[in-house]
Amino acid sequence: MSGKPGYHGKILNIDLSTGKIETVPVPAEDFDKFVGGQGLGMKILWDRLKKPGVDPLSPENLLMFMPGPFSGLPVPSSSRTCVVTKSPITSPLKSDYTHPSTVTYSNMGGFFGPEVRFAGYDGIVITGKARVLSYVVIDDDKVEIREAAKFKGMRTDAFDRAFLAELGDRRFKTVYIGPAGENLVPYSSILHTAGRAAGRGGTGCVMGSKNLKAIAVRGTGQPTVAAHKAFLAALENARRALNGSAFAKSWAEQGTARAIVGNSNAGTEAVRNYREGTFTESDKIGGDAARRDVWVKDIACYCCPLACKKSGMTKGKHGGVVHDGPEYETGVMLGSNLMISDMPGLLKAITTIDDLGLDQISTGNVIGFLMEAYERGLINRSFLDGIDLKWGSVDATLAMIEKIAAKEGVGALAAEGVRALSWHIGKGSDKFAIQVKGLELAAHNIQANQPRGLSYVTASRGACHMSGDNIAMQNRRAMMDSTGMCFFPTFEPTLEEPMLALLSAITGRKFDKAEFEKVGERIFTLEKLFNYREGFRREDDRLPDRFFEDAFTVGPKKGAVLDREKFESMLTQYYQDRGWDPETTQPGQKKLKELGLDSI
Amino acid sequence: MDKGKMESSGSYDRTTLTRREFIKGVGIGGGALVLLGQFGVHSVAWALAGDPALNMVLIDYAKCTGCRTCEAACSSRNRPVSLKGQELPGLGNPRYANIRVHSFNPDVDVPNVCAMCADTPCVKACPVEPDSKTGRRALYRDNVTHTIHNDSARCLGCRSCAKACAAQRTGVISPDPATGKPERMCTLCGGDPQCVKRCPFGALSYVEVRRDRKFYGLGPEKIAAELAKTWYGTADFGGLK
Repeated sequence: MSGKPGYHGKILNIDLSTGKIETVPVPAEDFDKFVGGQGLGMKILWDRLKKPGVDPLSPENLLMFMPGPFSGLPVPSSSRTCVVTKSPITSPLKSDYTHPSTVTYSNMGGFFGPEVRFAGYDGIVITGKARVLSYVVIDDDKVEIREAAKFKGMRTDAFDRAFLAELGDRRFKTVYIGPAGENLVPYSSILHTAGRAAGRGGTGCVMGSKNLKAIAVRGTGQPTVAAHKAFLAALENARRALNGSAFAKSWAEQGTARAIVGNSNAGTEAVRNYREGTFTESDKIGGDAARRDVWVKDIACYCCPLACKKSGMTKGKHGGVVHDGPEYETGVMLGSNLMISDMPGLLKAITTIDDLGLDQISTGNVIGFLMEAYERGLINRSFLDGIDLKWGSVDATLAMIEKIAAKEGVGALAAEGVRALSWHIGKGSDKFAIQVKGLELAAHNIQANQPRGLSYVTASRGACHMSGDNIAMQNRRAMMDSTGMCFFPTFEPTLEEPMLALLSAITGRKFDKAEFEKVGERIFTLEKLFNYREGFRREDDRLPDRFFEDAFTVGPKKGAVLDREKFESMLTQYYQDRGWDPETTQPGQKKLKELGLDSI
Repeated sequence: MDKGKMESSGSYDRTTLTRREFIKGVGIGGGALVLLGQFGVHSVAWALAGDPALNMVLIDYAKCTGCRTCEAACSSRNRPVSLKGQELPGLGNPRYANIRVHSFNPDVDVPNVCAMCADTPCVKACPVEPDSKTGRRALYRDNVTHTIHNDSARCLGCRSCAKACAAQRTGVISPDPATGKPERMCTLCGGDPQCVKRCPFGALSYVEVRRDRKFYGLGPEKIAAELAKTWYGTADFGGLK
């Protein structure tokens, strides 16, 4: 154990091939340099996948559940778990290896990360592959691998209940995959509490490849802090910054769903497979409509005063319980992007996607691509197994979702993502296959939002909307996702000071704004080193042609389109500012030395 | 049902009476029969006895978001740490919280906390002979704070109190897994309950105990079952059979 304040100093390592379970100490230096969460996960991935091109679905790949130094302490909004692994969905245009792919990380809220720390670990690392479908139970230092045969194929909502009933204590916190993950759909998600997900980048597929249906964790301990009094004082200030504020109330009111109408009005929404930025019917699926017709409860993650999660119910043909949504991403990807404005239908699609354990964003993106290809006559109805996949059709969308998760018929191809689909269909369809490096774009459209385009092309896991629109944002967020705190409350500027004070008090290491960003830059750059080693170059940081050719035809940003030259020169500037070679994107020695990554 | 309009379980409270009115009501008629059904004869005795007013933490389930800040606040106060001889609030490990949020699927969150029962089924279940001087069993109600305490030295760890609490009331009393001695009796934090103070959503309040309140003294599974039905129209709420 490292004896480092703020940490347990150890990772729980579970090898599903051999059944070996052990705790592994983490060097104190790694906590200093990579903090936790996304950063520490990245460092472990770098250390342990020593050679490039490891098949992400092989037993060799690591699947990590990483809380951060805030996790397990009552720091506001410190609920996050970062799932880190090697991506099963990305690949470069050229590589020397059979299975090159990027790192991937997916960050989810809820209660899992804090519970991992209550159980006494700074992270869980899963390696190997179980002989049969299995689940893992972690009860403080008692850890067991058990057979999960009876849960095979079970959807996540039913599984959430059945699994806790099997465990016999609702205090267990659980993560699990659905049928899509078991079937190795590359964009499968990992679910938690039936309505929260580590959605992006195929973490559920990696979990499925390990024959791991679920993990349950329960703990009675707690991490320490370096400076108790300073911690209490900073905690008080952090709570004061958020509790009862207009900012927090606004999140509780609509969560991210507020942006469904807001971004449509701003011309920055994914509409009709990114053809447009404005959806004239967005008010029918927006936050006001949901508050009126659907939502019953505002739900918060661990110690969060924002409560952005919404649950409710709908009635009629597509009626039922709604665990979450619409949120901005889910509401737009399955709503505006598919021209669906029927709220119960939209929510049925969202609920079904979670139930099957798919990524909402990639699934909505794939279906949008197919709708456009179908409309253009590039594919016919028999290609779609008879599904009349027209814009706005809820039933056709639901049928496609089921096929994707089951990898049945057209679903087997659609499960590979839009890039693979466009390769298969050809006929210039790559122009509107909306992905970067193989990962589909999220619900922010970019013809009128060039900086978000930068986020999509330079993010370490493929087209990620959360990475950040510029270098400073990217560094800050890589660091934020390493702490265990959610990114949403950090929109409140008065939280920054107490947040830094908390981090300093917990770790005993002085974090100011500059140091915070510095660590973030180190993490982001290590991700780049990993991706570069796999073969990713500047030509992989590339947007589909649509964004440079198809100007919006409606809305306030009518006529908006990206300028290729401007975009490329912005990118060149970006690499230079990062200290990377603008030709190859290789991080320069000077920068690596500055970040302490030169000897890594 | 117009669920969107349901603002808080405060609405469940509309038909309830103040304690004084309640006592009067029981005295003259029908209310007593209902109570006899729900709580048995002791409740009437309690209601009529004119005991000193007891206070408790009341939950508005519609406002509760399940964030568990109350657990951290409770633990921080009731599990202080000693640093260089100075007592300071702890780090809020929920393991030591006396209030505990039970979360269900679909989303229903039920914080469970001592109901401060006037008739103390837990104390009555304690088999330890009352002390000749104080009249106290191992488990007893403190005369000043009116909260339930356990005299660990005399406690047998027999779990009778927890069983009584689970069978008759909220089931909040949890025996320590190793010793069997009861835990999680609310201390009311010396009259300033930290869970109430720290709840970011105003879901908790510090009020007079009234047994006729909707959900008073019920266990979390029973409460969740009714709320799941009301809010989501479902009988399957992930309760443990």
